[in-house]
Amino acid sequence: MQLKKKTKIKAALASATCLLLGNTQAQAGEDKGWEIDAAFLYYSEQDRVSAAEPTIFATKTFADESKLNLNLVVDTLTGASPNGAAPSDQVQTFTTPSGNSSYQIAPGELPLDETFHDTRVQVGANWEAPISRLTRYNVGANISSEYDYNSASISGGLAHDFNRKNTTLSVGVAYAADTIDPEGGIPTPYASMAAQGATQPRDGDSESKNVFDIMLGVTQVINERTVMQFNIGTSQSSGYLNDPFKIISIVDSNGRPQDYIYESRPDSRSKNYFFWSTQYHLTNNDTADFSYRYMTDDWGINSHTVDLRYRWNINDRWYLQPRLRFYQQTAADFYRHSLVQGVTVPEDISSDYRLAEFDATTIGFKLGYALSSHSEISARLESYQQKGDTKPSDAVGVQKQYEMFPDLDASIFQITYSIKF
Amino acid sequence: MQTDRIQREHTIKFIDGMFIGSFQAMASPCEIIIDSDQQSLAKKLTALAAKEAWRIEQKFSRYRKDGIVPQINNSQGVALKVDDETSLLLDFAYQCYDISDGLFDISSGILRKIWHFDASDNIPKQSQIDALLPAIGLNKATWEKPWFTLPKGMEIDLGGIGKEYAVDRVLKLLQEHSDCALLVNFGGDIAANKPPHNKAYWSIGVEDKAQEKKAQAIIQFPQGAIATSGDVKRYLLKGKKRYSHILNPKTGWPVAKAPSTVTVIANTCTEAGILATLAMLHGKQAEKFLAREAVDYRVQR
Repeated sequence: MQLKKKTKIKAALASATCLLLGNTQAQAGEDKGWEIDAAFLYYSEQDRVSAAEPTIFATKTFADESKLNLNLVVDTLTGASPNGAAPSDQVQTFTTPSGNSSYQIAPGELPLDETFHDTRVQVGANWEAPISRLTRYNVGANISSEYDYNSASISGGLAHDFNRKNTTLSVGVAYAADTIDPEGGIPTPYASMAAQGATQPRDGDSESKNVFDIMLGVTQVINERTVMQFNIGTSQSSGYLNDPFKIISIVDSNGRPQDYIYESRPDSRSKNYFFWSTQYHLTNNDTADFSYRYMTDDWGINSHTVDLRYRWNINDRWYLQPRLRFYQQTAADFYRHSLVQGVTVPEDISSDYRLAEFDATTIGFKLGYALSSHSEISARLESYQQKGDTKPSDAVGVQKQYEMFPDLDASIFQITYSIKF
Repeated sequence: MQTDRIQREHTIKFIDGMFIGSFQAMASPCEIIIDSDQQSLAKKLTALAAKEAWRIEQKFSRYRKDGIVPQINNSQGVALKVDDETSLLLDFAYQCYDISDGLFDISSGILRKIWHFDASDNIPKQSQIDALLPAIGLNKATWEKPWFTLPKGMEIDLGGIGKEYAVDRVLKLLQEHSDCALLVNFGGDIAANKPPHNKAYWSIGVEDKAQEKKAQAIIQFPQGAIATSGDVKRYLLKGKKRYSHILNPKTGWPVAKAPSTVTVIANTCTEAGILATLAMLHGKQAEKFLAREAVDYRVQR
């Protein structure tokens, strides 16, 4: 037998032996410990809603690669939210959802309901574990509760690796059951908002909705630097899909409000989406992330989302991750900023600006600093701008003077502390 | 739960100021030397040592149906999830395979089906060897911790690591329970933590190949480990040609001109054992290999 190059077998063997004998308890499984992310998010819309949201995510990885994920989210919203009515050249008076009080909006102003405030608590758990060498499953449950809204959901999924673990096929399902119990009860769709103190048009106290989701995904390693993911999914909602706090202005031919009616949305919604993401690792260890999402639903909303991120590792401790996101959607078929008196009322109607046609841009960055080999602190600052058709061609009379879409500017600030132990 | 037929017992005796605990494991006489005059400690350490040796024997023997090795060998090409200790041993086996360029191969034991080293002249035919070679090669198996997939028809055997590993494990275990000088000796595979309190080193006799019971040479070492590869009783003789029981996994033939025994002194018994086996596999270049690796060794030709 020929001796190969001058070997260092003894040294390699010594380190291999050290690994073999090094762990004091080779018999006992070694759990990988906890990974905890604690974050505080502050979201603020200019002149409108602001939200404070502390979150805790904790993940425990066990010796057999199974994972337990626990999360807690608390958010507190305060501020004003558009009630759906159109601006006018006169003072407008609205009844609060309870029916016990009212508020007035000055001429030319966007009608906002100032009484908006809520605290939501969400807890969830997810369990992921291998079934066999190439197959993993996950199950999860979430409960979220706030003053007038409760949601409970369960989810499950399977992921299978193929092609020497270069391809992963996954399937996921989720079911959520929500109940809404708004202040003052469920407004009767199309009924007129009654004056303060009068009997309000109500259809009982609470309603419910169900959402069923199915997702199919493929993750593919393209080469040693590139990973792509493709998902398609469908989401079926049914039940009470209205926003009980939204109304629509009924205006005369001068654009002046004559009445306010409660909105009415279809009682089902079917969304389908496609998602593609690419993650690219550069030679200097930076990563670039690109994703695109297309969503279409039977309400007539089609949306495109493009999200770009680049993680620049400045040095061993610091990284900076700029982000740019574009969003665009078409309006729901039943979206109307207001209705002109005498015109045939459509089967469904809503003036919720979130169902209108609009574009949104998010621009921001995240700055991270490694405190040690197992802890990191990061800060994220983002600015969100939403723009719609403020001067729609179908505005009538005085409406032409005002902005008929509530453009929105918001800031997001988040600070996160991550630790492994 | 004792299901084996071997009588499991351990005894202690007091000789020259030290306790010697004895038991039988891994087809070898096993002893631990405890540099202490406390009988209760000696009993406790002997019991611990025996229990750990039997545990490892039971878990990694290729003969015991409840062990992991037969489970792997009968897995029919289906991935098997293994526990952490087996994972560490497989990791180690792969590292040995890699650093030895495939010479140390835990999948080569299948050659025993045709090679019977019973001092006879029963040499298998080349066609028999050729039929087995495709079933050898650890690189043909898939190791994605904790999943091990052994192709159908292949077999593994941790015998080439097991005893030395047990010696190191037992010494480590005993050190957790005592500060005194300890020597663990499983059939000539030895590890010691430190020299006895009244001596500078331990003295070990190396068996002579011709005179089995009489020690040929004395190895003195303060601490560390010793392992020996080779067996004076296991060979084949055809004509004048002697075939050692060390088989080259790449050719399926015994290594030509292998020493009759190689003894290596190293930090751990596991390292010593692998180095001794690798030296044997280098045949007539055994000494050259050991010298180039700067190993402390004794070779008998």
